[in-house]
Amino acid sequence: MEPATTISTDFLESTVLLDQTLYDEGFRDGYRDGMDSGKEEGREVGLKHGFQVGEELGFYRGCVEIWKSAIRIDGNSFSSRVQKRIGELSELTENYPLSQPENESVQEMMDAIRIKFRIISANLGVKLEYEGNNLTNASKQDLEEI
Amino acid sequence: MSEIDLVEANLALKEIHKLEGHTDRVWSLAWNPATGDDGHPATLASCSGDKTVRIWQQGPSGSWDCTAVLEDTHNRTVRSCAWSPCGKLLATASFDATTAIWQQVGLDFECVATLEGHENEVKSVAWNPSGTLLATCSRDKSVWIWEMQPGNEFECIAVLQGHTQDVKMVQWHPHLDVLVSVSYDNSIRVWIEDIDIDDWSSVQTLSKTSCGHSSTVWALSFSSGGDRMVTSSDDLTMKIWDTTKNPSEVSGDGNGSWFHLCTISGYHDRPIFSVNWSRNGIIASGAADDAICLFHEQKNDLVHGPSYRLLLKVKAHDMDVNSVQWNPKDPNILASASDDGSIKLWQLTGLP
Repeated sequence: MEPATTISTDFLESTVLLDQTLYDEGFRDGYRDGMDSGKEEGREVGLKHGFQVGEELGFYRGCVEIWKSAIRIDGNSFSSRVQKRIGELSELTENYPLSQPENESVQEMMDAIRIKFRIISANLGVKLEYEGNNLTNASKQDLEEI
Repeated sequence: MSEIDLVEANLALKEIHKLEGHTDRVWSLAWNPATGDDGHPATLASCSGDKTVRIWQQGPSGSWDCTAVLEDTHNRTVRSCAWSPCGKLLATASFDATTAIWQQVGLDFECVATLEGHENEVKSVAWNPSGTLLATCSRDKSVWIWEMQPGNEFECIAVLQGHTQDVKMVQWHPHLDVLVSVSYDNSIRVWIEDIDIDDWSSVQTLSKTSCGHSSTVWALSFSSGGDRMVTSSDDLTMKIWDTTKNPSEVSGDGNGSWFHLCTISGYHDRPIFSVNWSRNGIIASGAADDAICLFHEQKNDLVHGPSYRLLLKVKAHDMDVNSVQWNPKDPNILASASDDGSIKLWQLTGLP
């Protein structure tokens, strides 16, 4: 076999390596196009998800703001237990890490916010629900018979 | 009656009445706690897949009549019903995700409150011993605790999360504010209020690792003294637990205070949907094999710890037995409800 260190002036070399060359080129093109479309898709998914989280969180913050205003105007608007919970919900929504989408506990935090909201609206006797394109409303479809 | 020498007994469970009227399966029964008290006729509430609740009363002649039908409130199956300890209010839990509170007004019943909050089907409802708290559980895996306020208002004071599946039943300890829930996730959870944080939490979970069930736990019942609890399951067994220790008095070292005593198996070959412990210490079970079994503790020196003996087994209905409940005042009377739409009353005879 020819030693690899010789400077190649072999006119056949490019032909012999054609397979490899074309493979490499194809790989590079594919990788680049993939990166581009991946980034594009990622951007779209991120925007969509970010919007959903923002919209839901904004909904809860809006409710909290109104309730807090009502309490400021008339301290007896709600029972002390409900007022305490409104305070807790306010804290939870303030502490939600909007700029840390990769924080692993965001799902738990959102669940905690949702449940706290449900308790407050149950105690206020109001049928308030965040609608959105909601995953939690899927339960309407599965009817269980036992 | 504490010790029954049942070896010589000639026991039988005799059907004495059949109550018909529901047009779909009957899910659950509840005896009014004031049943049999002076002036109060024996009263039984039943709830059904026909979306109604029926009130049955025994007349002076001994026959039973349906004296009220509670309808037009729930728009899906009513799965469970429970009388408040004073007997004046009836709570009904429905697949429509609400719990309704009814009060008797003359001969009729009026819905005085509706508790909303669960995300889907409510499976069970239970009052605490003093009648100040109500617990509900649902397929949404949570247990809600409501506090009764003046004017029949109810405020949700806690939402208990911990079960990972559908919660099938909740029951309170007979004299402590300790709540027990059982679930499709095969576990039994014990909940108490932690005064320091003013919130409720799970102090113990009885699962496979604590000799618990290996499939859905459907029902539980405490003995009248509160020192024992029986649970029944899809795994075809019933388990007896020692519940003598008060969970609020246990130091927080992670070791729960309740433990497994024994397992009763081999008597039902289908899921056991209901268990109820009478004042006389007799455990009744109702299962998907259409039968009712009665058990009593057997004092046996040869075995470590208590064991339970089958007293009798009867084919009770044509279809699954969903609920069995002993009359709180007359411990020889048992009521059963079935998928066949009927309710039967039984008399236990032959006791020495």
